[in-house]
Amino acid sequence: METNTIIKLKDVNFYYGQSRALTDISMTFGKNKVTALIGPSGCGKSTLLRLLNRMNDLIDGTRVEGEILFEDKNIYAPDIDPVEIRRKIGMVFQKPNPFPKTIYNNIAYGPKLTGVKAGDLDALVEQSLKQSVLWDEVKDILNKSAMNLSGGQQQRLCIARALAMKPDILLMDEPTSALDPISTAKIEELIEELKKHYTIIIVTHNMQQAARISDETAFFYIGNLVEYNKTEKIFTKPDVKQTEDYITGRFG
Amino acid sequence: MEEKRHTSSHYEKELQEIKNGLIYLGVLTEKAIQQAMKSLSERNSDIARKVIKDDNEIDKLDTNLEERCIKILALRQPTAIDLRFITTAIKITGHLERIGDMAVNIAEKALQLNEEPQLKPYIDLPRMTDLVGSMIKDSLDSFIRNDLGMADKVRQTEQVVDDLNEQIFRELLTFMMEDSKSIHRALLIMQVSKNQERIADHAKGIADMVMYMVTGECVRHQTCPLKE
Repeated sequence: METNTIIKLKDVNFYYGQSRALTDISMTFGKNKVTALIGPSGCGKSTLLRLLNRMNDLIDGTRVEGEILFEDKNIYAPDIDPVEIRRKIGMVFQKPNPFPKTIYNNIAYGPKLTGVKAGDLDALVEQSLKQSVLWDEVKDILNKSAMNLSGGQQQRLCIARALAMKPDILLMDEPTSALDPISTAKIEELIEELKKHYTIIIVTHNMQQAARISDETAFFYIGNLVEYNKTEKIFTKPDVKQTEDYITGRFG
Repeated sequence: MEEKRHTSSHYEKELQEIKNGLIYLGVLTEKAIQQAMKSLSERNSDIARKVIKDDNEIDKLDTNLEERCIKILALRQPTAIDLRFITTAIKITGHLERIGDMAVNIAEKALQLNEEPQLKPYIDLPRMTDLVGSMIKDSLDSFIRNDLGMADKVRQTEQVVDDLNEQIFRELLTFMMEDSKSIHRALLIMQVSKNQERIADHAKGIADMVMYMVTGECVRHQTCPLKE
């Protein structure tokens, strides 16, 4: 695997029962890059995202073919522990989903389970909240319920919660679709910062968001990877007409 | 290249209106040059004065088109071909407005030249007018049709106009050396020729932008012909 590649997909097919949701996907994700997955609803982009940390394992009747290499190992090999994969490849969902616990325990819960010592937890919570640019807003209310935070704060808390597990990759499935423009801008700013240390793969329906924050963009249609290139290229002069029709709103 | 229609018919209409506006602006500027040159060749100063007066309409249309383009950038956030179309349209309207100004310059020189005896029969100047007129028309046609071949032809014709301008310059130099009384008129005719040469530059500028719009490649500072 090339040094700048963190994940490599080789001829990946994915099925929900008999129905094929992804067809012969081969692509690589660059380390410390933000990659946006775009395409119309049902094109397979969220399915692909969930394949990358084996979240689809939790759905009955699904089947994967091909290889997804992370750190040179196929994450679907029998000896791979999916829980360990999900620790290294964290996920942030469309709607903020904090635990009904304090802000502190939202962050500390995962690390505690994985054996982080109690004495190290305070520093880890502070570091994670600082990384997600939430620390200044919550440092005095760490023992208050996370459910009292605003939607934007809750989403940054979920990002902090993922970061506390020290992942290599963050998967984001439409992380700002439920947020107002200011909260969205804060998350986007945060993504810019996070890519210095993490690889980020984001699914978004917001074309402008993909254009603003990503380094690379992949366009999917009916389970196929149609075009994958530098974001600047995709949004100024895509190679494939189908991509151009989609991003300019000439689709369907 | 046949484009699919936008999901938003209003957006589609806004883009089409900009296209139509540019065609109309092109027609106005082409006519302005022809009329300015006609005022010179027919020694009719009324025509020159009308060219100067009508430039106001060109300026207004330029401003209107630019505002529409900016509105689309702000409200529609165009991408890919639409983004290249809008940036090209903004540049084209600027080029056309400057061409209108060149026509005014020619008309102003015509007003002065018409007050004095004609220095020489105008032969190469009308040839330049025909060339720059077709360059403007072809550059806009290439814009409408996404026609790279036609845009490239415009880019190559610019050199022919440059050569004609130099030829006129040399010829007028001999007039000035032979008779110092001819200097003022010769200089005015040189300026008319120079203005036409600059119009050709603007037409080439339009063709360059068409190349960018169609291919995504910036060719403004490359020499012609294009590398295959």
